[in-house]
Amino acid sequence: MSVDIHALSGAYALNALDDVERAAFARHVRDCTACATEVAELRETAARLADTVAQAPPPRLRERVLAEITRTRQTRRSGTDDTSSVRRWRRWAALASAAVVVAVAAATASWVVSDQRVREERARADRLAADQAEMNDVLTAADLMVRTVPVAGGRVTLAESRSREAAVVVMSDLPVPPDGRVYQLWLMRGQAEAVSAAVMEPGQRAGMALVPELGDADQVGVTVEPAGGSTGPTSPALVTIPLA
Amino acid sequence: MIPSGEPAERAGAAPGGGAGPEDLLALVARGDERAFGELYDLFAPKVYGIARRVVRDPAQAEEVAQEVLVEVWRTAGRFDAGKGSASAWVLTIAHRRAVDRVRAAQASADRERRAATSDTPYDEVVEAATARLESQQVRRCLKGLTELQREAITLAYYGGHTYREVAELLGSALPTIKTRMRDGLIRLRDCLGVTVG
Repeated sequence: MSVDIHALSGAYALNALDDVERAAFARHVRDCTACATEVAELRETAARLADTVAQAPPPRLRERVLAEITRTRQTRRSGTDDTSSVRRWRRWAALASAAVVVAVAAATASWVVSDQRVREERARADRLAADQAEMNDVLTAADLMVRTVPVAGGRVTLAESRSREAAVVVMSDLPVPPDGRVYQLWLMRGQAEAVSAAVMEPGQRAGMALVPELGDADQVGVTVEPAGGSTGPTSPALVTIPLA
Repeated sequence: MIPSGEPAERAGAAPGGGAGPEDLLALVARGDERAFGELYDLFAPKVYGIARRVVRDPAQAEEVAQEVLVEVWRTAGRFDAGKGSASAWVLTIAHRRAVDRVRAAQASADRERRAATSDTPYDEVVEAATARLESQQVRRCLKGLTELQREAITLAYYGGHTYREVAELLGSALPTIKTRMRDGLIRLRDCLGVTVG
């Protein structure tokens, strides 16, 4: 256990980490039982700080919330209906368009779009118009949350909208996968359950995928798999990013 | 008193009659709108209070509170009683969403300017406590912290600042702030007698 990352537990419980640190710390906690207990207790403690600021909300809020929940579908806990949703997932697509990339770049600040890359993306944009419309819908959601995690010299960005129940995952500058191997994106619940969300082409090391239905998954992960993809991860994830 | 449990059994229960927040959340996870109404009455003041404190703007705070309470409805099935109380679960979502809102509202340059010039009145934050017993306990325990622990924690929690911003605001080194947040919360935890599991 890294002493340095452990010291972030207080800041984590206070939501005082930025997105990258938060994701890194959340990963750390998953594998560290002692940390998990401490984090749970410090979160519990931080939540008590709300005691001092309680105030009556306007009465109209109650009406609005109670009206909205009657129209709001609940996420289910059971993960048994996963196979049917696999088919609804789109294949991992090449970077869709400059506009989408720029939208993500603006939010992550760490993305560099080269002219060359933009030209290539534009050339491929036509056949991806349908996915793009859905991606844009996610990427322009008011509640979009973006997390970027560095991995093996490149990075994976998760842009997630809870209101759309959907996410866009962008992978960039990853190492070229070994011969006959590809990157595969997974929608995961804990370490045990994983459903394929997208499979990349051999040699492909940058791409963007729409995950149209998050269900009750709590993280996304990327593994290296045989070309064509696997039905379940056959290697440890290169990276996982927790969902909100 | 009608025992809590299956929704049908507690159909005639008076609001707040017997079911604790964890029970209510379990009922909400099964789609019980009536239980949600009780849960709303229990938590809406704190959810709204956090949003007001962190987001400041009343209209935006109301929006955030609405988002949070609907999210509680939507994701109630994810609550795991083994990992903490229903109260902490709901209020963690509320704080996170309030913080997301202030951070999303500002371009990073803007945020840096705010960090450099902000005068979040942490004394006022502590002084603004209501007279309720649990609130008094929190205030008393906050007073038991060192000044730096208290400032670091209140600027982060009530001000929605990242620990980097807090370090800048207080003119302290990053590792110091990190450590003060952690040991301050630990002291607060022990003073409040918080346990999990």
